[in-house]
Amino acid sequence: MKYSVLFGGKAGQGPNILSQLTGEILVEKGYYVFYSRDYQSLIRGGHNFNVLTFSDEPVLSNESKIDILICLDENTEKMHKNELKKTGLVLKGTEDNMYFAGRLFKILGLDFKLLEEKLKKLKNFDENLKHAKKGHETEKNKIEIVKPKNNSKKSFRNGSQAIADGSIKSGLDIYCAYPMTPATPLLFELAPRQFDNNFLTLELENEISVIGSAVGAAATGAKAMVGTSGGGFDLMTEFFSMSAIAEIPIVVYLSSRPGPGTGVATYTGQGDLNLARHCGHGEFFRLVLAPGDSIESEELTSQCFYFSQKYKIPAILLGDKHLGESFYTSEANAKITKSEKTISLKKFNSYETDENGIGTENAEIIKKNVERRLKKTKEIEKEAEKFEMFKVYGKKDSKNIIVSWGSTKGAIIDAIKDLDCKFIQILYIEPFSEKIKIELAKAKNIILVENNTGTLADLIGEKTCIRIEDKNKILRYDGRPFLCDELNEEIKGRLR
Amino acid sequence: MTNLSTNIQNTWCPGCWNFQILAGVKNYLAKQIKNEKDKENWAMVSGIGCHAKIFDYINLNGINSLHGRVLPTCLGLKVGNPNLNVIGFSGDGDAYAEGMEHLIHMARYNSNIKYFVHNNQVFALTVGEPTPVTEIGFKDKTTPRGTTIAPLNPIKLMLAAGCGFVARVYADVKQVEQVFDEAMKHNGFAFIEILQPCLIFHPDIGLKEKTYNLQEKGHDKTNYFEAMKKAEEFDYNKSEKIPLGIFYQKEKPVFEEQFEQLRKLKSEKKSWKDLKR
Repeated sequence: MKYSVLFGGKAGQGPNILSQLTGEILVEKGYYVFYSRDYQSLIRGGHNFNVLTFSDEPVLSNESKIDILICLDENTEKMHKNELKKTGLVLKGTEDNMYFAGRLFKILGLDFKLLEEKLKKLKNFDENLKHAKKGHETEKNKIEIVKPKNNSKKSFRNGSQAIADGSIKSGLDIYCAYPMTPATPLLFELAPRQFDNNFLTLELENEISVIGSAVGAAATGAKAMVGTSGGGFDLMTEFFSMSAIAEIPIVVYLSSRPGPGTGVATYTGQGDLNLARHCGHGEFFRLVLAPGDSIESEELTSQCFYFSQKYKIPAILLGDKHLGESFYTSEANAKITKSEKTISLKKFNSYETDENGIGTENAEIIKKNVERRLKKTKEIEKEAEKFEMFKVYGKKDSKNIIVSWGSTKGAIIDAIKDLDCKFIQILYIEPFSEKIKIELAKAKNIILVENNTGTLADLIGEKTCIRIEDKNKILRYDGRPFLCDELNEEIKGRLR
Repeated sequence: MTNLSTNIQNTWCPGCWNFQILAGVKNYLAKQIKNEKDKENWAMVSGIGCHAKIFDYINLNGINSLHGRVLPTCLGLKVGNPNLNVIGFSGDGDAYAEGMEHLIHMARYNSNIKYFVHNNQVFALTVGEPTPVTEIGFKDKTTPRGTTIAPLNPIKLMLAAGCGFVARVYADVKQVEQVFDEAMKHNGFAFIEILQPCLIFHPDIGLKEKTYNLQEKGHDKTNYFEAMKKAEEFDYNKSEKIPLGIFYQKEKPVFEEQFEQLRKLKSEKKSWKDLKR
């Protein structure tokens, strides 16, 4: 059983709050919910929509066909009626958004009391309740949804919330940011939680000041993190490079949008893999970890802090809009990797220095420092093997191997359920596990899935000398995430 | 008395006016820092340029940061440990070219940081190019027909940006020591410009003889409009007289005092590093 509900309307009409409270209640009832947001870079008007998919089994992506189309404006029906299943329902009218919540609850046979409880937590309770009741009484349709299999406790979070949880559990002291979609939801999440959890969030004049202040704070021993998207990160890279030579630990959350330039501000893409791997001038190791869902976001955040503190290096947590703003249901508890604070204030320097932190031009010392950084890289590569650097899903003995990273994970897992294939998800971009080469060497057929033009294929080529054929690259670079049914067809056509 | 010197060879040009600044800073610090424990209460930051070598010559913790990024680095140290006395050193290229945005915003934030700008009106360490405060007509390899753009007046800029402590001194050991002392008594961001000739690329073009002390002339440093008037007297291009001393002083809400988390750290004499989580 799997249903998809699309909530569409103009920005300001409140499709988000509708999908959010519906999602929360379905998860509380024991269902698995995934919902993603499609919104434009404007404040009022335009066309925004959220697609919520729920099931009695784990679900990590949306599909192309809709069961219930909720139209807060006329445009939504026009834009999405082609996506409606033959048996699908269209809910439209000129009423307030909570009217549609009432109707949807009636259709799904969900207890109205649960909705009422949620409304109590929002503004304008009386008004909202009136609309919801009216919708509930008006609606005559009903869909028999299967009862959930179990009622185990589940978390329902987007990637940004999970990163916030991960960073707080890792002992975050200071988070600095300048507003930039799609990284801002992390600041939204952290700022209200700074008082109860005793850490500090700072919004400063630009990304250079953001990372400069984070580096300054980290030099006193604080655990510091910054968040931004591609353009903002470009501005940060000089300090990123400096933190490597000064050996001041810093964690960067890099949340990609389609680029280059300002690109497409509120849509998704994985075009910054190479930026993350090569950012900053000079030779130094860039740790790049890429989570694919909420639990991994939390776990890899803690691993970024761990490596960053232990080896006194800059670390990148690489995500994107689809990961940061989509909501995932999970039963698992994240495994947090605890880290010590390793820095005490001393003389730090952006120059190559002697052992006292004083700038040097001495050839022997320069050589020694370069070799020390190289040695550290080797140690990180070795220690990383203790972690799950990649994960394997699907038919373990299949000769068809799909390879991908990051936020494409959900659609791939949902797409391959009935297919003869194995999926390798790479979590550690840098360092890159040598075992991936062994896994890939077993394949008869390697298929790449990426939300870009194929940068992982280049990385795999570089690290393993294995070439992925162009016809085996399933690529999407229109700013939208993969939908599992469409991806299923694409993969099927490439299986051997 | 604790040793504030490092055993590194000083590579400023012989006779460089930076020696005066170094001596003035060290004289003041020597009065404050009696032992190794006192030293832990201090952090210094420098940028990139001739001025930045001061980081190597003072035995204090801190960061020799990137070009133009002294103030964000200082702010980070301050919010990382609000108990630290944070002092920053920049050149004119650092403060007025590469890092201008930070200077304006720091005047607005008003973090309790003392900031010294070694203004020699030239990019000295890159062998003599004009900066935003170089006078019209200055010639170097990059400007064979002389610069044509009027210099910026940093004193006016800082007053306009809302800075609560605006001072200018000449690169003289006594003046530096004295203004450091005044700045430390001020709770908030202190902007101190030091007119510092560069013997090689921008020698004193007759500035020193035109200087006079504002405080000796009875200047009212609490009067914003008087401060602006005095700031107008020297436009960094051609002037008859050059006022030195404190142009303006007014206490305003301090950045780090606005955050309850930082107030708590300060009252408990702790830094984030001391928090066990």
